[in-house]
Amino acid sequence: MRPLLLAAFATTALSALPGFAATPAEVVKTYADIAEATYGDSLTTAQTLQAAVDALIAAPSDDTLKAARAVWILARVQYQQSEAYRFGNAIVDDWEGRVNSWPLDEGLIDYVAGDYGNAENDLAQLNVIATPKFTLSGTEIDATKITPELLSGTLQEADGIEANVATGYHAIEFLLWGQDLNGTGPGAGNRPFTDYVQGAGCTNGNCDRRADYLRVVTGLLVGDLTEITDDWSAAGAARAAVIQDPKAGVLAILTGMGSLSYGELAGQRMKLGLLLNDPEEEHDCFSDNTHNSYYNDGIGMRNVYLGSYTRVDGSVVTGASVSDLVASVDPKVDTQLKGELDATVAALGAIKIRAEAGMAYDQMLAAGNKEGEALIMGGVDALVTQTQSVQRAIATLGLQAVAFEGSDSLDNPNAVFQ
Amino acid sequence: MLRSLFLTLALASPAMADFPETVKNHILPGYASFASATKALADAAAQSCDPVTLQPGFNLAFDAWVAVQHVQFGPIAANGDALAIEFWPDPKGLGAKAQRGILMGDAAALTPEHFAEQSVAARGLIGLERLLYPAEPLPAEPCPLIRATAADLARMASEVQKAWLDGYADIVLTAGEPGNTTFLTQAEVRQALFTQLITGIEFLRDQRLGRPLGTFDKPRPERAEARASGRSLTNIRLSLQAMKAMAFSLTPDAPLTMAAFDRALTLSTKLNDPVLAGVVTPADRLKVEILQQSVTALHDTAVKELGPVLDVAVGFNAADGD
Repeated sequence: MRPLLLAAFATTALSALPGFAATPAEVVKTYADIAEATYGDSLTTAQTLQAAVDALIAAPSDDTLKAARAVWILARVQYQQSEAYRFGNAIVDDWEGRVNSWPLDEGLIDYVAGDYGNAENDLAQLNVIATPKFTLSGTEIDATKITPELLSGTLQEADGIEANVATGYHAIEFLLWGQDLNGTGPGAGNRPFTDYVQGAGCTNGNCDRRADYLRVVTGLLVGDLTEITDDWSAAGAARAAVIQDPKAGVLAILTGMGSLSYGELAGQRMKLGLLLNDPEEEHDCFSDNTHNSYYNDGIGMRNVYLGSYTRVDGSVVTGASVSDLVASVDPKVDTQLKGELDATVAALGAIKIRAEAGMAYDQMLAAGNKEGEALIMGGVDALVTQTQSVQRAIATLGLQAVAFEGSDSLDNPNAVFQ
Repeated sequence: MLRSLFLTLALASPAMADFPETVKNHILPGYASFASATKALADAAAQSCDPVTLQPGFNLAFDAWVAVQHVQFGPIAANGDALAIEFWPDPKGLGAKAQRGILMGDAAALTPEHFAEQSVAARGLIGLERLLYPAEPLPAEPCPLIRATAADLARMASEVQKAWLDGYADIVLTAGEPGNTTFLTQAEVRQALFTQLITGIEFLRDQRLGRPLGTFDKPRPERAEARASGRSLTNIRLSLQAMKAMAFSLTPDAPLTMAAFDRALTLSTKLNDPVLAGVVTPADRLKVEILQQSVTALHDTAVKELGPVLDVAVGFNAADGD
């Protein structure tokens, strides 16, 4: 549940002031336009990934594997920026698990090192690529053909365990990089291209099924991104949900920012990993691309607050912003929040710069790495600080008090069409 | 600093209920009890490593923790101490693994300074429970690790208490006053406390009850909290009592919320299933499900009634993520 969405709306700030530079209706239109553009760019970069995956499967080599990895990293840029939409919008949050579930028990999918396991997950070592037939909760599963339905319907979250991740960016990441067996030392996953060589020369067995899996799972990602892009198009349900009730839509913008900043990024993804000194507690753990993912989360939150997104082709989608709304009521709150969003981008940028200079995110998590700890805590502290200001922006706009009846359009998006 | 704190507390009339009462009657006594219970446990461990001798003190320390666990803002949040005090749930079994590494490893890790740097999964109450209630013989003599873990708990409890007394309580109590940059208004404090309460109820519903319940087809009794020490249901009941006291300290004007707490408490008292093992049989499972439903009802009632009474909505919290 996202409790903030249950909060409804005092009539004061948003409706009473005549001198607004922007109206909530204009603001949510910009928000929906940026969503459509961000997911649209995520889709086109995923289609590029799909072409590179096809090339890898058709002619496995160091070059085609490296090319596929490079476009996977590019495909993450806009997607991570879109994470600002996740927690404010039920349609996005319900869909998100298919494309970006993490952390995962990758032994479900393919071979892993011997000491790998998860006491609570019977499927953590299933290795479906090597196992055409198996029993799942008492049911015989025929996986001789690797199909979209097998991955998204049967294996994804099998047994009700979230770590059973069969689809999405991280499943593809695992198939391109393999396990990162370097712990908190230097180096990412190092899967050989020969894992995709058909016939003689195939390494680690079942190269045909591994190629099938990679092809199918990449196709699913493209399909899922097509769906969410459509959801934000002119006729889409996610757009309709925020347009229908602009004040609720404005609250969705701020809810998405606050929940991603605090519970998700600062807490689950960053501080917890540091407290555990666990190298698997990094978001892009096979590719060591975590620094870019978090940095783009920071960019994405700033995009939606400022109402401005720079597309892959360099064009800019921009319009009335929630920043304009807050500034018209209390410029101090707006100025402070803008400064804090910049500070977060800078703090996450410092992690990125250090990672690109040779200290990967998993190395920063090592016990006793004071420099790494300081870098990560710099990001955590900035995110926690901006959360408080997001909370104040909600109060400034009068979006949190009084009635608690919720928003039909956001809680139950299909109601918009009834 | 201390003087102004006590002055403020002294001025709060006992009949009132608002955030100063929550600080005075709930949070500070809670941290004081937790600090003294963990100190007693550490002192006892320094004398003896016999599990049977230490178990009563362990349980008193755990009781004291559950009474204040739902307060997750302020000093406890600064160093991740809440997780280091109780790392649960632990779906990947990180605690047992990390603890085994320390148990078999270099004794230098057990000095207070180095032990505090070890993974939070290896430390705290659940770490101690694994040593005092071992399911199978431990692979090495646990005494030094028992002492280090108990001392580390007492250190954290003492530091959190001290941080509240030496400054944080003043910051909370002077909310909205000039110069207070943490809480710009009193409403921000009420919101923070309300958020702790709702998040605590959600933790009870989703983790303490939800994890062992699993699904009807696949119940998960092995996932109940603190099974080895037989505390699963005790923790649920103590947590309900503590959160009820906190709600009452915030306002006397939430009768439906109080009634919802009482209903859940009555059900938890009637439930004769200390580690919720009954989730696997339909008749006993139903009782646990009914308790969970009562906690869900409590949650919804508190959001609907207490929120408007305090004039705040639930704020961002640590459970917002995955």
